[in-house]
This record gives sequence, C-alpha cells and structure tokens, in this order.
Amino acid sequence: MNYRLVLKLTGKTLLVAAMALLLPLLVALIYREDIRPFLFTLPPMLIIGGGLSQLSSSDHFFPREGFFAVGLIWLLISAFGALPFYFYGQLNPGAEFQSYIDCFFESASGFTTTGASILTAVEPIPNGLLFWRSFTHWLGGMGVLVLAIALLPSLGGRTLHVMKAESPGPVVSKLVPKASQSSKILYGIYCVLTLIEALCLRIAGMPWYDSMVNAFATAGTGGFSTRNLSIASYQSPAVEIIITIFMLLFSVNFTCYFLILRGKVKQAFRSDELRFFLLLVAGSILLITWNLRDLYSSAGEAMRYAAFQVGSVVSTTGFSTADFDLWPELSRMILFLLMFCGACAGSTGGGMKCSRILLVLKCVRREIRQIVHPRSVNVVKLDGRVVEEDTLRSVLLFFSTYMLIIMIASLILSLDNFSFTTTLTAVVACVSNIGPGLEQVGPMGNFSAFSGLSKLVLSLCMIIGRLEVLPILVLFSRNAWKRS
Amino acid sequence: MKIIIVGDGKVGYTLAEHLSQEDHDVTIIDTNDDALRRASESLDVLCIKGNGTSIFALKESGADKADVIIAATSMDEVNMVCCLTAKRLGARYAIARIRNSDYTEELALLKKELDIDLVINPENATAVEISRLLRFPPAANIDTFYRGRVELVGFRVQENDFLCGRPLSQLDRRVKALPILFCAAERGESCIIPNGAFVPMAGDKLYLIGQPRGMSAFFKLLGRYTPKIRSAFVVGCGRIAHYLVPLLAHMGIQVKLVDKNIERCRQFDEQFSKATVLHGDGTDQELLEAEDVTASDAFLALTDRDEDNLIISLYAMQQGISKVIAKCNRQNYTSIARTVGLDSVISPKLITANQILQVIRGIQNSKGSVMNALYKIANGQAEAMEFVVNTTTRHLGVPLRELKLKKGILLAVIIHQRNIIIPEGSSSIHAGDTVIVVSRDHGILDVNDIYEESLLDKGALS
Repeated sequence: MNYRLVLKLTGKTLLVAAMALLLPLLVALIYREDIRPFLFTLPPMLIIGGGLSQLSSSDHFFPREGFFAVGLIWLLISAFGALPFYFYGQLNPGAEFQSYIDCFFESASGFTTTGASILTAVEPIPNGLLFWRSFTHWLGGMGVLVLAIALLPSLGGRTLHVMKAESPGPVVSKLVPKASQSSKILYGIYCVLTLIEALCLRIAGMPWYDSMVNAFATAGTGGFSTRNLSIASYQSPAVEIIITIFMLLFSVNFTCYFLILRGKVKQAFRSDELRFFLLLVAGSILLITWNLRDLYSSAGEAMRYAAFQVGSVVSTTGFSTADFDLWPELSRMILFLLMFCGACAGSTGGGMKCSRILLVLKCVRREIRQIVHPRSVNVVKLDGRVVEEDTLRSVLLFFSTYMLIIMIASLILSLDNFSFTTTLTAVVACVSNIGPGLEQVGPMGNFSAFSGLSKLVLSLCMIIGRLEVLPILVLFSRNAWKRS
Repeated sequence: MKIIIVGDGKVGYTLAEHLSQEDHDVTIIDTNDDALRRASESLDVLCIKGNGTSIFALKESGADKADVIIAATSMDEVNMVCCLTAKRLGARYAIARIRNSDYTEELALLKKELDIDLVINPENATAVEISRLLRFPPAANIDTFYRGRVELVGFRVQENDFLCGRPLSQLDRRVKALPILFCAAERGESCIIPNGAFVPMAGDKLYLIGQPRGMSAFFKLLGRYTPKIRSAFVVGCGRIAHYLVPLLAHMGIQVKLVDKNIERCRQFDEQFSKATVLHGDGTDQELLEAEDVTASDAFLALTDRDEDNLIISLYAMQQGISKVIAKCNRQNYTSIARTVGLDSVISPKLITANQILQVIRGIQNSKGSVMNALYKIANGQAEAMEFVVNTTTRHLGVPLRELKLKKGILLAVIIHQRNIIIPEGSSSIHAGDTVIVVSRDHGILDVNDIYEESLLDKGALS
C-alpha cells in the first residue's frame, strides 16, 4: 500500500473542499450573518490539506490504493464538512447541532446526497449554513474526487481507479481518453444542468437564494430543502413539475447526455438501462395514480403528486410535496421497493442502480434456462454487448452485500425500540441515499429521535451506500492495512 | 492530438504508454478483453473492444476526427485494411506495421494504393540497429544523426579507465582536442547532463556525441579499441535474423545461425547460401561448445524468449566473447541485465516506439523547426533530437553565452554549412543549420522549446 500517495491525494481533495467552503462564506457575508463557523473550519482544513499535499511519493497506484483513498477521503470529508455546523452549535447554545455526532450525520447526509436530517426545524438556521448543507449535495453528487481529478490533472494517469471507486454503477468507463478531461466534461454537463434548473425555478417564482439551494439539492439528488415542509411549502405546481423533471434528468446516466451532445441521439436511447428506468418510472406513476384516485379531487392532481414522489424516490432525492406516509399501503409499498432500486448507473443518484437490478433479473432468467436445458450456453447481454462473467459476479455479490448491510444496520437500530417500519425504512433510506423513509422518519419526520450509536451507524450506512459498499469495506479490512 | 492505436500487443501498449505520457488523447482498439483491461487500468487511455477493421469500431473510437491512426496488430493484412478504412473515414495520418518480408518488394506500391503514410517494420529496424552496433564494437549502443555523420555512443566506464574519479574539465589535452562531447550520464537509476565539474565513476554509463573518427580515436585512447568483427554467432532464426543476415553479409561478417525449428533452418539455408545454418537448441551449452562459440567475435541472442536470450548471453559473456547482444522486450529485465554487465540489450518494441514518437512530434510541430531524429537514451530518461533550424527559431545569430537554456538541456552539436561543430560560448545558431539537442525534459517539439523564457517574452517575440 502506497500510504504516502493516498495521503497526498487526501490532502489535495481537502484543499478542493476548503475552496468550496468559500461559497457559503460569501453567502453568509451577503446576508450579514455570523461567518465564524466557516472561518473556524478553514484553518484546520488548509493546514492538514496543505501539509499532506506536500508529501512526496512514488506514483505506484493500483486498485487497492484507489479504493482505500476513496474510502478514507469520504470519511474525512464528512468529518470536516461537519465542522461549520458544529461551530454554529457551539456559538449559539440552545440552537440545533449541539453534539458533534448530529453534525457528522448532517454532513455525511449532505455529501452522500441522502438528505436525511436531524433538524426539527430548518427555518431558524442561517442562510449561509443552509447553503453549505445543500452545496455538499452538489459536491457529493458527482464526487469530490472526480472534481479533484478535474481540477488537479497532476494526479497522473492511473486516476481511473479513483473514478471507478467513487462513481456509481457496475461498469465505469471514460468518455474521452483522458481521465481529467472526462471529469471536466462530466462536471460541465452537471454545472449546465444545475444552472438551467436554477433559472427555471427563478422564472417559476422562487427567490434567487431558494432556487439555487433547491437546484443544488436536486442536482446531487440530495433532498435538503430550506423549508420544513420541503417543496410542499412553495405551493406552486410549476415548481413541482420543474423539480420532477430535473430529478428524473439527474438520475439518468450522464453518458447519455455526452452522446446527445456528440449528436449520437440514437445510440443514447439504445441503452437497456435507460429503457428499464423509464418503464419503471412510468409504471410506478400510473399504479400510484390509480391507487390515489379517491384521495385527491382530480386525476391530474393525483398524477402530479404521484409523479413527484416517484421521481423523488427513484432518483433518491427525497423531496416531498405530500405526506406519502398517509397514502394507501400499495403506494407506500411501491415507493419502498423503488428505494432499493434507485437511479441509473453513472448518474448522481443512489440506490442499487437500475442496471444492477436488470442484470440480476437477467441472471435469474439465465439460471432458469440453464436448469431446463443443462447443456445450453447462455451469455448475458446489456445494450447488445456481452457482459463479462466477472461483472456479473460482482453485481450478484453487491446485491447480497447490500442486503447484508441493511440487515445488520437494522439489527443495531432496533436497540432504539422504534416500530419495525421506522427502523427498516430508516436504514434503507440511508443506505440508498434517499433521506425520508416511512412513519417516524417519513417526509414530515426527522432522524433526531435516534440514539448517538444509531446516528453513527446510519451515517456510515450513507457513506457505504454512496460509495457502493466496497471502498469502505476495504478501508476496514485488515488485509489492506498490512505491509506488503 | 487524437491518436488511435489498433492492436494492444507489445508495440501497441508501449506506444500507448509513451504517447499518453506526452499528453495525447489515445484510444486503443483490440478484441482481447484481458489486454484491454491491463491497458485501461494502468494507462490514461480509452479502450474500445472491437475489430480494428470494422467501420463500427473505428467510428466509435472517433477515427473520423483522429489525427493519427497506428495499426499494430499481429497481422499485416489487418493493419493494411485498418489504415485504409480509417483513412476513408477521415483520419489524417496512417501508420501501419508491415513486417512480412514478402511485402518488402511492393511496399512502395502498397503505400500509395492503400494510402498509408508510414510503414514500420520493427524487425527490420532492429536488424539495422544490430548491424550498427557490430560496426563499432566498443559501444553499448549507437544512434546516428545527420545521415550517419554524427554518432551518439553509449559506453560503460570501467574501473581502470583514466576517466574515473577525475572531473571532465581536467581530462587529458589529447581527449579534449577530439571533436566529441560528453552529453549524458546514467548513474544507477538517475540521469545526469554533465558539465565540466562532473566526475565519472566506475559503473556509470556515459554518452558521447561527435564524429565517427573522433569516437574511434577516443576509444583507442581508452584502450577499448577492438578489431573489426569478422564472424557472428546468431541464436534464433526469426524475422530479425532474416533481415540481419544480408546486412551482415554486406559488412563481410561470417554468420553462423542456430534454430530449433528444422523447417526454418531449411528456409534460411535455401535463402542465404553463404551462412552456416545449424539445427539444434541454441540454449544448449554442449551444442554451443561443440560449435566453438568462443571462436566468434560476436554473439547475438535473438530467440522469441527474453529469458533464454539473457541467460545464453550471460553464458557467452562468461566464455569471453567481447561483443554480446541480446534481444529483450521486457523493460525490467533490461535493467537487471545491465547490473550484471550485459549492456547491449535491444528491444524491438522500444525501437519502433521511438520511430513513431519522432514522426508524431514532427506532425505536431509542422510549422516550426523540423525534427529529423529522436532517440531515447539512458533508460528512456533523456532524449536526443536532431532539428533543422529555420526562420521561426528565435535568437538566431546570438552567441550561446548570452542565451539562457532550460535546466537539463544541452545543445550538443551545431552543423553549420556541413561543418560539424561542438558548440562553445561564442557559437551561434543560424537558419538552415542542423542542431542536435540532448534533453532530460520530455516533450521538446521545437528548437524554441530549449530556451529558458517567461511566457511574457514568448508572447512578445512571437
């Protein structure tokens, strides 16, 4: 293990994160708020980041180092990202964010684009801090390290290992030959889409600040809002429709946008995953609309609420316009199942990813065929291409580990003695990076009632879910630490 | 530049490695998953699975907008079709590896009809390199500039050499008077561009540049001068040997060949009547002894296996043969071989990669000074380049002592009106001159790149 290089990478990423902290600082200045929470956070980040980035190291870089670095950096960045909240809590006794675990939970929830909050009331928090809370969504959505690669090309040629470990999806490929160029293109598409959304929201009547913050939360598929009632508080169908569309747009594989930009529209829509995703979304919306037909005055209204909620859950954003916890059981079950599935690979969304679900289904079909015709040779195809057996194995493994982690975390959470639904959906909502679950952690509830241990477990679940299990497990494996 | 490499074999991978380091956008096409995985994991390149001759794969890799396509699969015919298709799609420059000697005759025709801009033949290039080494035995490696009139020679310093432990500035007057220059030194893993204060030590590898007659005079002074090579023992009748035998025959060297494969032996005997062809295992020491290897002036190990080549070369060295050359494609083996004193290790894939790098730098800098030659020396850590100076070059006519060159760069030779000059403080560059530059920095594309200047000056001058 090349610890020096891992630490150097960590240092550089911390510097990039420190740069990102200047933006909320500016917002706080504009609103004439207390900027001390940010000022206190900057020196430790700059000193530690600057010190580590000066390390000299050889450039031996293998998958091991990539996974290790990604796991370490995400834990550290969540820890440092929590500092502004913590200092705010220390400076204002009686306000929220009194314990560091709460702050860590909020920060991890931000970076992993989960959007689960321990805040009982959002409105009293100053604008600068809320801006940072949502900006962490934006940073975490595409990946902090991917940003570091885009900004610091000096990281060298073997950065693909880092991208592989940080970007979601079973197979990660570059768009163009150079890794740093690829990251720049991804961030370019990301920025442009975010800006368009902010403009649309502004036109729909939202104030500038709110439209920016909500655009960040949608882009990262996070779900932190500036209001207690989330998007419902704006009372505007236009805003709801805009956000629905953008939530779905951000849960599509970004390679599709790249192909469309290159003029290869046909190729973009040839993707099996995209078709599966659209089918899933359309089917869920129709079913829920039918299920809600008696609850709302018109079919159109029911459809609007259903579409928003399906978009919000499948993209793993976690905004809400209605308390879906009060909906009929079928709708709640559909939403719960969508939580597992999540968005497309290569998007900013979380969950298990549509392509993996699709591959698991195809594997099941293959296995059945194999039993019926024991001598038949079957390959699994995706987008018309054969999927390697290695990839299939890792997908199946991912599926089982994901379930295993949900089970273990639920077991620990059950110590707090909440209802079965609350415990299970809290874990699923965190591992899949959605945010709200059902009952006590539903769209109108929050996570403040959990014990410190549960919050820590849930924070870890969020990071495990965001990094797709393996990097964090590598970090905690004894083998990775051994000198070899 | 956008470069597509078809075929992720030894040559393809080495090229991708060098080109991606020089900041080009490299895309590799191959049908083999494992080879692609290896490339995508260790290099900053884009890998696409597919057949390089299919329009689909070429289009996917962006051949229509590519600056250069390099076809380096194991099959000549595939390479030709690949270049043809890519050129029709819109690629600008096509390089194909064609190594079957059957095509040598009609190469000109093929190039014209198939619209191939450059044909590379690693085995032929290797054979040429070997013949050059045999022409001047004291050198571990030789590269030539200016149509062979300037040579860059590398040699290992031995303990009892008069060079040892004395700064270069205090060398004997007879050495100083020679038209040669110490232009690079390799010590352990590092590479040094020496100045007058540099003290050579035993085990260093020094690189000399200058005229051939200066070289012979220097090695005579060093006591390293060996008589002309009259006989060579070659193990392995592969493609390299096929190109090499006629070259050696032309130099008047008696050749003895050994190969395991009886068919190949027959073919060689049929084609090269003057050479002695033996059937047997070249790695078998009994056979080598029976054929009296020690009587040969040179020993060449050219089998397909790097390990065999190195081991039998060591054996030959131990037997006291003064010139031993081994073919070895693996980089890490080369450095191991050097530590045990086997200096002349040649790698066909590196020779080819150097050839192509030179061409690509030339395309990149089509407006500035023209690069005529590029060699990687000192384990690939330094480069020696030949440029033709034209009017786009800055500081023409300014004495060198008034110019500031970048660190790690040496202006080694100026050829002014056919006079080969080792530059001094008063020398200057003129348009039409040929210059040879040695640099530790990679990516020198133009003579202008050697000057130490702030960006501001550049803007003001250009």
